[in-house]
Amino acid sequence: MNRSIQRLYVGIIVAFALLAGFLGWWQVVRASSLASRVDNPYLYESQRKIDRGRIITADGVVLARSVKVDGGGETKYRRVYPKGTLAPHVVGYASQQLGASGIEAAFTNFLGGDYGAQPLLQRIRGAKHGADVQLTVDSRVQQAAVDGLAKVGSPGAVVVIRPTTGAILAMASSPSFNLKDVATNYTSITKRTGSPLLNRATQSRQPPGSTFKVITASAAIQEGIATPSTQFLDNGSYVVNGIAIRNFGGRVFGRHDLRFALTNSVNTTFARLGVELGSDRLGARMDAFGFGERPPLTDLPPSEIQASGRFRGTTILSNSQRGEDVARMAIGQERVLATPLQMAMVAAAIANGGMLRQPYLVSRVRDRKGDLIRQVRPEELGQAIRSDVAADLSAMMLNVVNEGTGTAAALNGLQVAGKTGTAEISATSGNMAWFIGFAPANNPKVAVAVRIENTPLTGGVVAAPVAAAVMKAALEAAR
Amino acid sequence: MTGRRTREAWLLAMPVLLGLIGSGTVATAAAGRYTSANLVGVGSVVGVFLAMHIALRIRAPHADPYLLPIVATLIAVGLVELSRLSPSSAADQVLWVAVGGAVVIGFLVFLPDHHVLQNYTYLTGLAAVGLLIATMVFGTYVNGAKLWIPIGFGQSIQPGEFAKVLLVIFLAAYLRDRREVLAIPTTRMLGVPVPALRHLAPGLMFVGVALLTIVVLNDFGTALLFLGILLAMLYLATGRSAYPAIGFGLFAIGAVIVFMSVGRIQERVSAWLSPFDDTRGLGYQTVQSLYALGDGGVLGPGFGNGSLLRENGTTIIPELRTDFIFSAVGNELGYVGALAVLITFLLLIHRGFVIAAQANDGFSKLLAAGLTTIFAMQTFVIIGGIVRVVPLTGVTLPFMSYGGSSIVTNFAAVALLLIISERTRRPLVGAGS
Repeated sequence: MNRSIQRLYVGIIVAFALLAGFLGWWQVVRASSLASRVDNPYLYESQRKIDRGRIITADGVVLARSVKVDGGGETKYRRVYPKGTLAPHVVGYASQQLGASGIEAAFTNFLGGDYGAQPLLQRIRGAKHGADVQLTVDSRVQQAAVDGLAKVGSPGAVVVIRPTTGAILAMASSPSFNLKDVATNYTSITKRTGSPLLNRATQSRQPPGSTFKVITASAAIQEGIATPSTQFLDNGSYVVNGIAIRNFGGRVFGRHDLRFALTNSVNTTFARLGVELGSDRLGARMDAFGFGERPPLTDLPPSEIQASGRFRGTTILSNSQRGEDVARMAIGQERVLATPLQMAMVAAAIANGGMLRQPYLVSRVRDRKGDLIRQVRPEELGQAIRSDVAADLSAMMLNVVNEGTGTAAALNGLQVAGKTGTAEISATSGNMAWFIGFAPANNPKVAVAVRIENTPLTGGVVAAPVAAAVMKAALEAAR
Repeated sequence: MTGRRTREAWLLAMPVLLGLIGSGTVATAAAGRYTSANLVGVGSVVGVFLAMHIALRIRAPHADPYLLPIVATLIAVGLVELSRLSPSSAADQVLWVAVGGAVVIGFLVFLPDHHVLQNYTYLTGLAAVGLLIATMVFGTYVNGAKLWIPIGFGQSIQPGEFAKVLLVIFLAAYLRDRREVLAIPTTRMLGVPVPALRHLAPGLMFVGVALLTIVVLNDFGTALLFLGILLAMLYLATGRSAYPAIGFGLFAIGAVIVFMSVGRIQERVSAWLSPFDDTRGLGYQTVQSLYALGDGGVLGPGFGNGSLLRENGTTIIPELRTDFIFSAVGNELGYVGALAVLITFLLLIHRGFVIAAQANDGFSKLLAAGLTTIFAMQTFVIIGGIVRVVPLTGVTLPFMSYGGSSIVTNFAAVALLLIISERTRRPLVGAGS
């Protein structure tokens, strides 16, 4: 009988080998393809086991944190957003169904605890405690930006930068959404008008209109073509490519200097300057301000940052591309498109003596014990314009707010420098109303770009007051 | 021969360590900070095994020293996993392990010689059939299958579990008597030489009963198990591979007929062959279990660190504590851990067959090999169902699945194996004294 026993045993060993083979097939060979199936709950489940770190504003307001949910023996966490409407585009969301966006996506390694060499004990335990991410965003400035946009009602965006460092104090986009219900109401949110999930501050390019004239003026002074007191003559029209460029409202200014031209946004003068500069020299200045490539704001996912510059359709051209209408480009029309972030960088560079700083949203990352894991040091991107050119521009922009198109941006007892812009898109969709500026003009602490879309009003009327409110909040917060 | 028992004691230290570390890991994962093991739970189980060990020292000092440590290892892994899924179930299970231990000690005390069982050949056979009939009559449907008889106090028993062991005892005694006549073919069937029909009749009857079990109890797993045990033991007794071949052939024909006539079986087969076609319905359990195995990967996150529970405490995979406990282990310990469990079962089977091969008489050999076959079949059928080697059927994984009937029955089988090995190895009376 022992021979039968032996044979039966061999048969069973073969059967078990088959089990081991199939087991390996599912656990090893097919593991990743199983994991990628849409109805596999494990990726989501494993994320829920992580105690993600908090996202905190510069002034200590918690925008996102994880709360322990007692799930029948397994410790799981739920993400809560105490201020879901304050900065949803910056904070972003993290969900298995939707993927992730914003800081939640870009800092998921830190927030999720996947950084550095963790203590062995923590690895054995498997419990991950993520690090806290502190933003440069100040809740008071951000609130002012959100309120300002809400008061206007039209779609728009605000970016506020501290010029000396590049720290972003506020970044708001309207229409907005609430992080509290983005996961549950995702489809209905995407169907709402105005694409609430779009971060207009970094993702939406529109013609910058007359705000672009600060770049034209910078280029002209930097290249020695003009000084603030260089004289020009305006007779109301300047013909380029067979079509006349006219001033806003059909005004005729006569003899004036460059300072006056910026103050009153004289189109013909800047179109002339553009032609005189040519594509190369105007393009070089655009390069210096960061046009033509994605702004190096690495704290958000690259897909959420769009480059500004010259476009043919959706194709970005070189800033110094020849054969384009450089006159209309010089007044911020034709094929120049810019995001509010880019225009805020322009304002910040001029405010900072011409030195462009890398914009950033995260100042530091701390672990649960409060130990610093990452401290951001402000980086210089380069001298966009010489400091004397910046000083000239600063003085000219001060005039814009004091007596020109930007008077609505004036703040009591403070010197505000700025430039308005109103790009006429079409009769039906209304204007792109812009304001870029900084304050105080002699010692800038805050630079801002405001864009209001689809408005019948001009930048000086609708965008400048929002900028004023935001700058006021920023200066009060800095005090 | 105290050497054997000393070796057993040393080997038992390993599952004790496994239980302590496992329990500590589970507690730590649940609390989120270092927490010590559930000393009361681990201590209780250690006490049970210590009692069995002492009983063996007194009553069966020559018995196989590896069985108990192997069983303890499986119990440790099963209990740790169970305690992480449902602490109250684990507490129940500890109680059942204690009952199982008592059964082992009872066997050692009251059944010093298993040959006595030969005197009750037909009684055990009738008892096995009676338990099945009782299930058909008094059983209640749970998840569509009629397996359970309520015995009051909210408890139920699964008579099919006990019937398996009784069936093996019956077959061992029955076949020992008839192995000669069964081994000599006298007629031909379909060109294959077979013994006279009257000797085959009980075998054919069992094939019929097995198929009937599928239809009446809707319990494909138990039917497959019974048939497998019968054919394996027929083969062991006669050494003729024609028996399993013919038996499985008849079963296959019967299965095809049942497949074509019973809708539920068709659903099962399609859930086996293409579970991903209906991941929310018929394929749900299989697919979720495969996801769990895939999530475990090669090493797994460790005891207590997988994601197996919903927030309300229910398991994502249905029947995770019972039939699918192996999926939970595979998820948390990975391929390495699952393979280790598989190898531990193979070690158990190895010891069982060694005991069978060394036994002195046909009855002992058949009994030991038959009991071992139960472990092998059951492990193969449920793990094979989980990894899709065979259609999924609800049977318990020996010593690991949650459930009193299963635990107690398996301990009884181990008790018989221990007694057989003791009888085999005990020096002849008077040799030393």
